[in-house]
Amino acid sequence: MPYIVAVDIGGTFTDLAACDLETGQLRLAKCPTTYGDFGKGIFECFAKADIAPRDTELVKHGTTLVINALLQRSGARTALLTTRGFRDVLEIGRGNRTQPFDLRFRRDPPLITRDLRLELDERIGPDGQVRKPLDDGELDAVADRLKAAGIEALAISFINAYANPAHEQRTAKRLAELLPGVYISTASELSREWFEFERTATVAANAFVGPQTSSYVRKFEGDLRSGGFEGSLLLMGSHGGVMAASRAEHEPIALVESGPVGGSIGAAAYAQPLGFANLIAFDMGGTTAKCALIENGQYAVESTYYVGGFLRGFPIRGNVIDIVEVGAGGGSIAAVDSQRRMNVGPRSAGSTPGPVCYGKGGVEPTVTDANLVLGRLNAEQFLGGEMRLDEAGARRAIADRLAVPLGLSGSDSETRAAQGVVTIANLTMTEAIKQISIARGLDPRDFALFCYGGGGPLHAAELARELSIPHVVVPPEPGNFSALGMLLANARLDTVRTLLADLDTGSLASLSTMFAEVERTSRDALLHEFGIGAVGFERRVEMRYKGQKHSLRIALPEALEPLVLRAQFDTAYQHRYGHSRPGAAVEIVGVLSTASLDIRRPKLSDLAIARGKSGKSGPAGTRQVYFLETGGYLETAIHVRAHLPVGFSSHGPAVIEEYGSTTLVGPRDTFSIGSLGEIHIDCSK
Amino acid sequence: MTAPNDPGSASACPGPTLAVDPLTVEVIRRRLVSISDQVDLNITRTAYSPLVYEYKDYAVGVVDAQGRLLSQCTSGMPLFVADVLGAAVRDGLEIYGRDGLHEGDIVITNHGGTIGQHLNNVVMYTPVFDPQTRELAAFFLVTLHWLDVGGRVVGSLSKYATDIFQEGIQFHTVKLRSRGEPVAEIYRMIRANTRFPEEVMGDIDAQIGGCLMGRDRLAELIGRYGLATFRASISCIWDQSEAVARAAIAAIPDGTYDASAFLDNDGLNAGERIPLSVKVIISGDSMTFDLSALPLERASTMNAGRSGGGQSVARLAFRYLLIPFEDANEGSYRPLDLVLPEGTVMSAGPNAAKGHYNLALPTLIDLVIRALGTAVPDKAAAGHYATFSTIRFVGKQPGSGALFQCSDSGFGGWGALCDADGPGPFRTMCHGDTRSIPIEVQEASYPIEIDSYAIRTDSGGAGQFRGGPGLSKSYRVQVPCMLFSTFDRTECPPWGLNYGLEALPGAVTIQGPDGKISSALKENVQLAAGTRVVVETGGGGGFGDPRLRDPQRIEADVRLGYISRESAEQVYGLRLDEKP
Repeated sequence: MPYIVAVDIGGTFTDLAACDLETGQLRLAKCPTTYGDFGKGIFECFAKADIAPRDTELVKHGTTLVINALLQRSGARTALLTTRGFRDVLEIGRGNRTQPFDLRFRRDPPLITRDLRLELDERIGPDGQVRKPLDDGELDAVADRLKAAGIEALAISFINAYANPAHEQRTAKRLAELLPGVYISTASELSREWFEFERTATVAANAFVGPQTSSYVRKFEGDLRSGGFEGSLLLMGSHGGVMAASRAEHEPIALVESGPVGGSIGAAAYAQPLGFANLIAFDMGGTTAKCALIENGQYAVESTYYVGGFLRGFPIRGNVIDIVEVGAGGGSIAAVDSQRRMNVGPRSAGSTPGPVCYGKGGVEPTVTDANLVLGRLNAEQFLGGEMRLDEAGARRAIADRLAVPLGLSGSDSETRAAQGVVTIANLTMTEAIKQISIARGLDPRDFALFCYGGGGPLHAAELARELSIPHVVVPPEPGNFSALGMLLANARLDTVRTLLADLDTGSLASLSTMFAEVERTSRDALLHEFGIGAVGFERRVEMRYKGQKHSLRIALPEALEPLVLRAQFDTAYQHRYGHSRPGAAVEIVGVLSTASLDIRRPKLSDLAIARGKSGKSGPAGTRQVYFLETGGYLETAIHVRAHLPVGFSSHGPAVIEEYGSTTLVGPRDTFSIGSLGEIHIDCSK
Repeated sequence: MTAPNDPGSASACPGPTLAVDPLTVEVIRRRLVSISDQVDLNITRTAYSPLVYEYKDYAVGVVDAQGRLLSQCTSGMPLFVADVLGAAVRDGLEIYGRDGLHEGDIVITNHGGTIGQHLNNVVMYTPVFDPQTRELAAFFLVTLHWLDVGGRVVGSLSKYATDIFQEGIQFHTVKLRSRGEPVAEIYRMIRANTRFPEEVMGDIDAQIGGCLMGRDRLAELIGRYGLATFRASISCIWDQSEAVARAAIAAIPDGTYDASAFLDNDGLNAGERIPLSVKVIISGDSMTFDLSALPLERASTMNAGRSGGGQSVARLAFRYLLIPFEDANEGSYRPLDLVLPEGTVMSAGPNAAKGHYNLALPTLIDLVIRALGTAVPDKAAAGHYATFSTIRFVGKQPGSGALFQCSDSGFGGWGALCDADGPGPFRTMCHGDTRSIPIEVQEASYPIEIDSYAIRTDSGGAGQFRGGPGLSKSYRVQVPCMLFSTFDRTECPPWGLNYGLEALPGAVTIQGPDGKISSALKENVQLAAGTRVVVETGGGGGFGDPRLRDPQRIEADVRLGYISRESAEQVYGLRLDEKP
């Protein structure tokens, strides 16, 4: 005592990770997610971990509540108020068809239907000047219409409000007086960037999930308090920092990737102590695999996120950790089409019925089934033996549904089909890693692969070989790593502003002024929300060659010289795209300010559960395991992770088993246990 | 994934070709698509012209050493799915010969007789050699719309051109780089022949960057598996794609299907309609598109060459109808035959003007779908708005006096389906992942104010399933400028299917500061400061008898304003309560 607690509500399980700030002791708990009353699952986790809310100093909370409400369209009855002439912006979107030849292609319907989209006479110009003033009388009339419509939430988005939010602010203030109890949100408080559709979609989503999220946060906080909790409740933001509960109530959309972000934070926290500036964080779960970049110990954030996916979903603006997600997980289904082409995923057997080997009614072979057939998983020791896997069933499904239609025959046909499943799943995952590295101009060989999630450590060494990544790291508790990562999150506040100007001394002066102003506001907000503390800032600027549309983010150098900044931009551009245009004009598009405030966090050394003291450190046994690299089965040492002491080292082929995950070490690899309890796999030879 | 495994007993494609492990084939197939997609992404991010980064008027592809299509990027412009890439490379091989193409060469062509599209569409490619044997293995291509290539007007697209020489400069297969070295003479010529040298040079850099990145990735792939395995895999991929396409054709009842429509005019001769008709012959697992009834090429800008015109129509329609979710390649199109004599508007000669080569394309694609609508109603859709609906404002910026060109183009309704309302507003069937330009970007970039941007009530054709709606957008220009518009299909509006009704066509209305109102469907017209231009795009046609529409849907449409009360009562025959 006292504890820092992180809770992560996932689709299947609610995870808790807690750290005793005095002893450093780590506690973990996992309970089924309790739909209808998520708090119940959390308090069950508290009980399971034997922690009382009154002994807790900080609760950090990650949740899929927001993304689920958006995907299931289960938010509040929400109206939208726009500039006259533009209520359809939300529905028209950008008009693009991501599946060009599909006559039936359509996007997910907008969150707010046309009858609840109202217009108002007002207009701001692109320069921020008022073209048509706001009429207070009209606001009263609009309020009456909204009242009659029985709405619970209201989104306000006006054209060019990024340049001047005054009309939005006045409207919100007045309507808050006229419509008590209605959740009101303006686009300009969420994003001060141009692109009316993206901003409007963002505020629509924010208002849509607002009432539900804020009442959840309030109720959960209340329940914690009635359990004697006197600390702070912080919500995990998609940008990788935690935010005060009050801010989360106001900006629930900032929680859209509140769950997956934990792993990236954890990876970033491990980067420096392990001596890796650059990591690729790789998380393979049941349905998808996700990867994120850690560069110079920091994860990257992107300014646009698609709710429901890029194909049919809608964008939201705001900083969301840059994650590439592909449909390859343990539950991904393998199938052969009429042309004998095998595909794996994105269809997934999920957790119900799950892979065939779970014995819960699944009939289609999955990646997990293939791994089992290939001897990579231990049928007896899955989830520490809590679940026994049906290997014969998996083998049968692979034979009947894959080997036969593929035309494979002979005694090794199941093995070959299973090997194909893993090969194709690995291919999809390497594409994801390439997308987050090569497509961003980075060479994966300059990174170490940091992997977690149930399946990450099982595939990591093969992925690393495929991409010539020399080094793989498996942190402690890979199966609980997302909650663990949240324990390590700092408080963070990101602000983005559009500022369009040629790069010269004058514009750099306005840049400084803008940063100073934004930083003042951020500091006040953080201090208000978190109390006393040192606030640190990072300044980045969006730049591009004049005439281009896409920009690059450049860290602002100390010396604010146009030529210095210019040179940095050219270098970054060259790095990313393989060519640059040193002669061309450069312009500034916007600024990104990140403010962070240190809050109490556990030490990494505390997260390495005491291990390897009592057990024997040699292999617990051997079994036949198939390796893609050699194209056959090898006699392979089986280790129990909890028995391996710090400093232990050995060579592949090897399998390291623990609760919730299995690590595969290739025949040419060596591995060792590091000082923080992490496994290092050297794939360079 | 590791080195390819022993092929063993199973082969994806048994037959005379080298037996390849089916999984190796799968890996190569997916790598090819992902290479093109990665290049695609980089081009979007490095391009200068909105025609590239938003409109996506470009394509990325790979062809083999003979110019046969291996793969193409997923988004980009479907219009280039055609044989344009192959045609460019075959022309290059004829001119230089295999031995005349070297590592590091970059070739460009926009030749009217080869590509057959407007001269702005410049194909650029670079040869890819097998790293082991140094044998020519493939070409990596990026086709991209250059903002301006000279000619009579800004942007190079004038409705008054009567031959291609008035439309700009032609590069008939010339090297922009030779063995990696820029050819300075060509750069000087390009720079001297465009009104937007900075933007065009920027886009060229993006295009070159894409070619080289694609080349390197492709060479890596070929080097890894060896040229023999690579070629065997390609041949297998083609066979598989062919089989998929043939199976889809075989599911359509044999027969001859036809459909016709017409365009308002060719842009130059008002009142002279352009009849268009297509015939589709299904026989077993083959399909023939007969376009021989098309009118002869005209002394106007609506002509397209065989490759950029007739072939494009055939291949695009084929994909919409038969293989919407497949990655297309040479094999996909093997079951497809095209009957098209020389000298029609879709197989025009090299010197015919081609500025608006795309005028008839969306309608022709739609006609193929219409022809088969009765045979396979579940694969068909009613007509979409089918006209590029482009608007360009050209003038001088008030402060700097710099030339500006604000290109905008309409998003309209798509046809209703046999079981669902029509989608949209989207761009035409010639477009794909094309985005509209945000109003805030337009207002910040050009001296133009936009007063409204809205869904057009009653624009979708009525039917049991309603057509998708068109849009209405109102501009007010703050400085004097030129307006270039290209709208068609107003006299033959988007059709309905199966007793569904036609949609409202598009319209362009100019309202001068003096209040004078005029229409401007295909105009090059000077606008005074303060002029309002209202652009309305067409909807999609309806499917099925409107009186069969679910009354609840009709009520919802009225409540949401997609249709008016009048149309609910008069067209759908529904009596509504008095309450709105």
